[in-house]
Amino acid sequence: MTEAPKIVYDRLQAARPQRDLPHPDADLLTAFAEQALSATERSSVLNHLALCGDCRQVIALALSPENIAPVTTQVDIEPVAATVPAKSKLLNWPTLAWPGLRWAALAAGIALAASILLLHPGRLNQQTPVANRQVAPPAPALTAAPPQSASSIPPSPLDRSSLEQPAHEPSATLAKSQLARLQAGRPTQPPASRSQQSDMLLADNRMGSSVEEKTQAAPAPPSPNLDAGKSAPQAANETVEVSGATALVETESSNLISLAQHNAPAIEKAKQAPPETEASEQPTSRTAYDLDTLKLQGRNVVSAAKLARSPNQTASSDVTWMVAAGVLQRSRDNGQTWQNVLRADHALLCYASRNADIWTGGRAGTLYHSSDNGLTWVQVRPTVKAGALSSDIIHIDIQDHERAPSEIVISTGNSEVWNSIDGGKAWDKK
Amino acid sequence: MPKSTQPGQEADVLAALYTRSGAAAYSVSADQFAAILEEVARKCTHESAPSPDDPADKKASFCATLRLEELALARACAAGNELAWQDFISRYRQKLHSMALHITRDAAHAAELADSLFADLYGINARDGVRSSKLVSYTGRGSLEGWLRTVMAQEFINRYRKQKRTVSLEEQTEEGVQFAAVPGPACTSDPRLEAATDEALAELSSEDRFTLASYYLDRRTLAEIARTLGLHESSVSRRLDRLSTALRKRILAGLRMRGMSHAQAAEALETDVRDLQLNLRSRLMQDSDPKSFPGKKVSAQDAGDGSTD
Repeated sequence: MTEAPKIVYDRLQAARPQRDLPHPDADLLTAFAEQALSATERSSVLNHLALCGDCRQVIALALSPENIAPVTTQVDIEPVAATVPAKSKLLNWPTLAWPGLRWAALAAGIALAASILLLHPGRLNQQTPVANRQVAPPAPALTAAPPQSASSIPPSPLDRSSLEQPAHEPSATLAKSQLARLQAGRPTQPPASRSQQSDMLLADNRMGSSVEEKTQAAPAPPSPNLDAGKSAPQAANETVEVSGATALVETESSNLISLAQHNAPAIEKAKQAPPETEASEQPTSRTAYDLDTLKLQGRNVVSAAKLARSPNQTASSDVTWMVAAGVLQRSRDNGQTWQNVLRADHALLCYASRNADIWTGGRAGTLYHSSDNGLTWVQVRPTVKAGALSSDIIHIDIQDHERAPSEIVISTGNSEVWNSIDGGKAWDKK
Repeated sequence: MPKSTQPGQEADVLAALYTRSGAAAYSVSADQFAAILEEVARKCTHESAPSPDDPADKKASFCATLRLEELALARACAAGNELAWQDFISRYRQKLHSMALHITRDAAHAAELADSLFADLYGINARDGVRSSKLVSYTGRGSLEGWLRTVMAQEFINRYRKQKRTVSLEEQTEEGVQFAAVPGPACTSDPRLEAATDEALAELSSEDRFTLASYYLDRRTLAEIARTLGLHESSVSRRLDRLSTALRKRILAGLRMRGMSHAQAAEALETDVRDLQLNLRSRLMQDSDPKSFPGKKVSAQDAGDGSTD
């Protein structure tokens, strides 16, 4: 890169904003960083930022680390217009040609892909349902990344394309082998991934929820209610519709609440439904519901998101759990009706379930355990030599290491991590 | 909302916005929410915000751009709604700690910063007996999470400055602040060069100046600048390249306009007084023989060839 003359550094540093002009407030800076300002406002904020090192520092510090990842935003292809004199425009034309060439290459690639699709339309349709069936069961093998990174993965289009591309042959082979084992009648025990280990899910990971919803919904086996001869391509099409529904969840935050609330039972059904197509049909039909009506049901956002994303709610085939307004609730009819199950002295914030084991935690170290699917509850007080757990429990994880009892991992609001490998009798604090 | 000429239409819009915000879940009434929107519209005095004389559809379109759900949550928290606080804590508590850790790079300071921000958000300090929460100043123009990050960054910078002012004498002495050497005469550039540079910089757009300042002064990475401006890294890289070249040409042209020949202008631009000092310093350092100082550490290479004594 061409280095600027050193005098430029000096003069940039010497420039200061006018003293009487106030700094933009946090609201304006946030909106600027999120590209949410009008052109005029953006220009005025930029004018200030160009001269004010303090505000530039605030903007830079406020960038979240994940936001600094490569972004797919507009590519600046008009580099010369504003600042370079007319004479240098002519000199710079070869550099301008590069972006053009890149776009041309991209267009050629798209055309090539489209022509392949046109020439072999049937092959992809046949492969897609197989791939979709393969996505979720071997989750640890296919997606070794933790949930946070999964949430940053673009939704369905990437998944589909990655499954359709031969570059992902090892994953597909692995999935095929698992499918073959399933078809041979041997139950497979895929190692538990983080997404499957616990179903306490906070609402702040909403973006990730759609990914998980999709991976849960996509592999659902076909429904016995549907035609046994329903073709595979049809199943593939329905899966695409589910992807569309989840994309809608991501685009509109307010709609997300109601969609999440409403998709949740559908996803639970999808998990229970034995054969393939039911999973895809349920969410698709439910997205047609009136979102505002759903929102007025008044359910907690947190609870809705938890419900929507709960991966381990197969504990008891008909039981679904959620925490709403500090109370643990249970539904035996896929979320149609809810009963309060446990109300503690302090508000409950999260829960985790695996089979008949239910753990729920909340404010001030409140922790309860039920080993009989919620019939009886025992209060657990995790204690180590240094003291007892007294901070808010915000996350519970039941890690299944193919042994009984499972390992319980608790995260607290002050970043403590407690774990127990003997079902909650003895605890370690990290 | 500001008064409108079509009250019926405005009421419908307000009702839709109120429903969309989900404020009812936090016991915020429609009237209260309307008052919040009016306050936000009043606060955003810029031209994109509606004025009282604007038609209802403009006000509605402005309000529709706001993060209504997060605005409702923030205002409900500020009002002390327990359910809203539960949601807020569930959504943002862990994130706030992560943000603080990202900003401070130190667990202890991060916890302190996050707790301090939480206290501000809750509003520990009461004015005239009324708890004042910082969340009241959130207007929903950006995301609540982004706003929290920005507020935390501002708080961090403020704390840093305060702490910098209260550094102990011992620390100042150690850092050479207390007994710093008297600075030498300031290195002044040719005034013609400064004028030509200022002129060239003034012709740049604010975005270009921001890019230059972020990269050269603040030492931000291309990725950070790209994210801030909503561009791709390669675009920022190309832009910097283009700006450097263009600035050089403009400054040269400015110097020639001020009576310098092309060679003189090029020499004035390339020769920096600080470079001369730096060269002199490095020259002096090269001339001094490290072996002359017996207490000085001997490099591995020197020790290897046995020439240390």
